[in-house]
Amino acid sequence: MLFNSFDFLVFLPIVFILYWYVAKNDLRWQNALLLIASYYFYSCWDWRFLFLLMFSTLLDYFTGIKIKEAKTKQKKRSWFWLSIGINLGFLGVFKYYNFFVSSFADVMDGFGWHTDPWMLNVILPVGISFYTFHGVSYVIDIYKDRIDAERSFVDYAVFVSFFPLLVAGPIERATHLLPQIKAVRTFEYHRAVDGLRQILWGLFKKVVIADLCADHANAVFADTADPSGSSVLVGAFFFAFQIYGDFSGYSDIALGTARLFGIELLRNFSFPYFSRDIAEFWRRWHISLSSWFRDYVYIPLGGSKGGSWLRIRNVFIVFLISGFWHGANWTFIAWGALHAFFFLSLLLIGSNRNNMDIVAQGRVFPNLRELVSVCTTFLLVVLAWIFFRADTMSDALHYFGEIFSPSLLTKPSVGKIGAVSVALLFLVFFVLMEWNGREEKYALARFASGWKRPVRWTFYSLLIFFMGMYMHTEDSPFIYFQF
Amino acid sequence: MDGQHKQFLKKIVWFIPLVVAVYFTMTIVFGEWVGQDYRKNLTYIKGSSGHVNTRLKDAGRSEGVDLLFLGSSHAYRGFDTRIFQRNGWKCFNLGSSSQTAFQTDLLLSRYLDKLSPKVVVFEVYPEMFCVDGIESSLDILANDETDLGAVKMAMEQNNIRVYNTLIYGFYADILGRNKVFKEPSVKGEDTYISGGYVQKKLKYFRKEEYPANEWEFNEEQFKEFEKILNTLEKRKIRIILVQAPITRALYTSYSNNQEFDRCMAEYGAYFNFNNKLTLDDSLHFYDRHHLNQKGVEIFNNAVLEIIKQHP
Repeated sequence: MLFNSFDFLVFLPIVFILYWYVAKNDLRWQNALLLIASYYFYSCWDWRFLFLLMFSTLLDYFTGIKIKEAKTKQKKRSWFWLSIGINLGFLGVFKYYNFFVSSFADVMDGFGWHTDPWMLNVILPVGISFYTFHGVSYVIDIYKDRIDAERSFVDYAVFVSFFPLLVAGPIERATHLLPQIKAVRTFEYHRAVDGLRQILWGLFKKVVIADLCADHANAVFADTADPSGSSVLVGAFFFAFQIYGDFSGYSDIALGTARLFGIELLRNFSFPYFSRDIAEFWRRWHISLSSWFRDYVYIPLGGSKGGSWLRIRNVFIVFLISGFWHGANWTFIAWGALHAFFFLSLLLIGSNRNNMDIVAQGRVFPNLRELVSVCTTFLLVVLAWIFFRADTMSDALHYFGEIFSPSLLTKPSVGKIGAVSVALLFLVFFVLMEWNGREEKYALARFASGWKRPVRWTFYSLLIFFMGMYMHTEDSPFIYFQF
Repeated sequence: MDGQHKQFLKKIVWFIPLVVAVYFTMTIVFGEWVGQDYRKNLTYIKGSSGHVNTRLKDAGRSEGVDLLFLGSSHAYRGFDTRIFQRNGWKCFNLGSSSQTAFQTDLLLSRYLDKLSPKVVVFEVYPEMFCVDGIESSLDILANDETDLGAVKMAMEQNNIRVYNTLIYGFYADILGRNKVFKEPSVKGEDTYISGGYVQKKLKYFRKEEYPANEWEFNEEQFKEFEKILNTLEKRKIRIILVQAPITRALYTSYSNNQEFDRCMAEYGAYFNFNNKLTLDDSLHFYDRHHLNQKGVEIFNNAVLEIIKQHP
């Protein structure tokens, strides 16, 4: 079930009504309802993978208790590695098996030994990377004695599979979400309205911005056999807004939906395209994943302690794993490596924490230096997206070759002028809205809050109209579902 | 229910009518003043290709026919009403571009009583059982009245483009745009012939090769198709299912034609003229799947024989 589907439009109010008006004041019933709703939501993709989700949940629930109850360090360690091994094993089989096998075969071919690898014909279970990371962080936190093991299976299962975050995050932490699941929740009018407003903005980002940009990005990367350098650059520009609108839109809908049920999820995006350097970009892009890697990979590896080489190694490892997490393809690894290079250049001169505040805070316009920094960072991010979007490494390298060729000066071909104009018009509106709201949790949070209600509501209605006028008429899944 | 719940629900109840009002108003504004290229999900083209506007007005004026032709462009470009009339059959051709069962159902609900045919010749092109039929719905919504049948069709298809076009269609109907609109009977190479047929200026097709392909059928279309057959059978109307010929190269590029034939044969009298006639891809077609006038004459005479042989 997609957030941007008619099914979800029916599903959400039903669960909302049952949650607040039928299971009201009874936390156990509310959590049980959330679990049933979440499992139903997940089974709409493929009910067979529901068993995998249940198994993963049971495994971490059970091993969490066993780790906590273990009398000896060795037993504790055994349960811990059993859980980590099985979790990562599933991820490895479903997501990475074919990649490893075919990469191995390619290497063998390089040495002149032809192999005929046995490939698995499996569908990637939607959300596996996300719920596996939920489970892994939970088990690590118990192993490190940061939290207690959860004794209520229903509460733990809701933590793993709460439907707004189940398929594409934000990647939650037990320390943040579990206490909310266990606490009595009361309905608050202003929170619910804020949730609806964030859902509206998220839908607009996905349905209008991301999907309109997708048409033009696909026109270059999916439909054109040999795009010119200028087309690649324009296509990458549209892809940058496609992926941002798509993923941050999804996150806004997830956060807004959770807020309707009285639950606050971790923030995932904080206006990343207004970053003044790559380090700031990574503090603002997919925050829940970046902080997950920081806490569970970078810091355990030694973090920034130790010498320069150790720091370089740690940064590289984190960015490469982050790239690989996105998909079993060398293009994602190259994307991660490129960002590692961008980041390291700041780290090594000690300026990776220069921009900790919000750009042009308290001002309407940025100064020239800020403007140049934001544009330069955006350009670097756009260039890196080419690796992310390309189907293969040779495609990506070909695209870069075109950018650095005379074809950069030719007229780009990205679709009909009417459709491109509409997309650009909405992008201008979108960027202005985002800039205006950059000091808030999301762009629409306080926009128009001073306006009279009929005017404000008319503005919201116009956003809904634009969705109806420009949405994709066939299913348009979120990009991050494939990860 | 406490005060906060009540306040929330009250606001939702007030907000929904406003959204509907703004949505309808903006759809009309876009339909009136924004060009087709700039309004992605509102397609309202009067007098689009295939003379559907003229044909539907013609259908409104016609009554009591012996033969009624239904189907896609293969029907309105493939059954020359003059040939059948010369042979004593009073007929009407109710085909429309990419017409699928959803649109056939709507058109029958509007015109079947008046046309009251004895025999229906239903052209069944496999592609029309594979597509969603949205384009054809938009075509009919823009060129015929928007009534409850149109609302029913829109809800069955549940597509935002159909809804938007329906909203604008209501508005255009209120203003009487459809009645005022006059479509020329000759448009480019097409000439509208009274009774629903569209004759193409004689052209010949340059032969092409096509990659191997397979029909991927849409179950919803078959369900809708069965509903239509039931309606016609209840009215004791004789049904002849016909697959009009397409170029040999295109036809043989599909690997599952036989599967479609078997399926259609289960519904009753079915004749696939791709297997019955020997036509030349160049001499008898003007494009890869439409007969030219020479091909139409051969095809129609063969259909006449079938009608005579299967009373």
